[in-house]
Amino acid sequence: MRAPLGTFVHARSGDKGGDANLGLWVAHDGHPSYDARVRWLLDLVTSDFVRTLLPEAKDLDVGVFALPNLGGVNVVLRGLLGRGVAASTRFDPQAKGLGEWARSRFVEIPEELL
Amino acid sequence: MPDALRIGNCSGFYGDRISAMREMLEGGPLDVLSGDYLAELTMLILGRDQLKDASLGYARTFVRQLEDCLGLALEAGVRIVSNAGGLSPAGLAARVVEVAAGLGLSPSVAYVDGDDVRALGWDGALTANAYLGGFGIAAALRSGADVVVTGRVTDASLVVGPAVAHFGWEPTAYDALAGAVVAGHVLECGSQATGGNFSGFLSMARTAQPLGFPLAEVHADGSSVITKHDGTGGVVSVDTVTAQLMYEVQSTCYLGPDVTTHLDSIQLSDDGPDRVRISGVRGSKPPVQLKVGVNELGGYRNSVELVLTGLDVEEKAAWARAQLEPRLTASSVTWTLGALPPVDADSEEGASTLLRCTVQDPSPDPVGRAFSNAAVELALASYPGFTMTAPGNGTPYGVYRAEYVDRSAVSHTVHHADGRTEVVS
Repeated sequence: MRAPLGTFVHARSGDKGGDANLGLWVAHDGHPSYDARVRWLLDLVTSDFVRTLLPEAKDLDVGVFALPNLGGVNVVLRGLLGRGVAASTRFDPQAKGLGEWARSRFVEIPEELL
Repeated sequence: MPDALRIGNCSGFYGDRISAMREMLEGGPLDVLSGDYLAELTMLILGRDQLKDASLGYARTFVRQLEDCLGLALEAGVRIVSNAGGLSPAGLAARVVEVAAGLGLSPSVAYVDGDDVRALGWDGALTANAYLGGFGIAAALRSGADVVVTGRVTDASLVVGPAVAHFGWEPTAYDALAGAVVAGHVLECGSQATGGNFSGFLSMARTAQPLGFPLAEVHADGSSVITKHDGTGGVVSVDTVTAQLMYEVQSTCYLGPDVTTHLDSIQLSDDGPDRVRISGVRGSKPPVQLKVGVNELGGYRNSVELVLTGLDVEEKAAWARAQLEPRLTASSVTWTLGALPPVDADSEEGASTLLRCTVQDPSPDPVGRAFSNAAVELALASYPGFTMTAPGNGTPYGVYRAEYVDRSAVSHTVHHADGRTEVVS
């Protein structure tokens, strides 16, 4: 069903120079499907997925680094912040809210994971 | 375990909670109290401070904190390790000695420098600092320093250094060093490890009680437990620790001056209430070169927000833009329009949105009065309901870039309290 990514996925985001950095991982909320949720998230999050989820990144080079041991992925959105925090004219120049935006986006989530 | 080294953190950035140093010293036992005051942007701010006054260039809030807490720390035998020296570790160390003397105290104060590589001639650089590792801090502590201040060391070095000093790790003890880097990376952002900026906030008590600052119990093998003092606000959980490890990393290999940390080896486990154990961390040889953070003054910028209310918001925005644009001489002009307000909104704020104009230019004039006056002059001469946020003067902005330098070009130097200097390879 369609539901926000943040239904059981946590996020934290920030800046590194002109790149935005986004961590996404499955919440340790005691749900029996934790392992299946992690497999789903790791399969789901590709560069193309991120460019679709966050249309402001549609033309950017996006790096995705899987960290299955931590139940999630690290995502680098290269150049989202222009020339860096101090120079950026972006609404959120340090990408502090990027993770919460990502969590609020609707994605198709298999029923059995909910 | 009794052999653990307890390292606390009392600052995640220049401007963090000023009372945190006292809270951490009074809240429970510690061996070392660390504080991170430097971010990419902070170096630029300190660089500008130093342009105005050559004796500045360090984080001044740290001095205020020590003025309040140095006696407490010395009494409790807690050593203070901080990168608050910024661009002037020597200046900060001298200031700390002075402040201590004023309090009737005589701590052993060491500083670490050599990170400032402006002399190597980076094009346009206001600041250029190599990210140093933890072995300088370790040498200072081993020589008995009560307070160690540094310039640009990596944030994790504030934990790695004390651990190296305590456990005597060799530079090739890569797994242990990597374990300490992970603990340091968790601590370096202060209360982001204890429930701050945490997307699981709905699972926490959300009261006025300030979030506690984190501490790490580091063991001889580099493994650690992240926790916080009893009775402080917030929570330490596998998720709050994961949050710190999952961002700002940019790869599965975290490159540092002392060790390359393999993030895919980290194991986290619940170790009781507000306790998370970090184990299994693997490390390998660090990169041959050191990273250098270079800040240059990029130019000047300013922005103005016009409030658009009620009907025909897009047409109002378009007209204001058409009026302002010919008046703008800045080299870069960026317009953004907020979300369109809902129809028939039952509050004025709800019926309004913002049109923002941001200008940038290499020189201050096109973004200063010339810009703000052009906006102000529309007050009675533009769309109905024109109002705006108070326009300010233009402010300078910086541009950060990463460069790399051979280790041989950098003299990572410890200045011991007794005046001896020691160069760390």
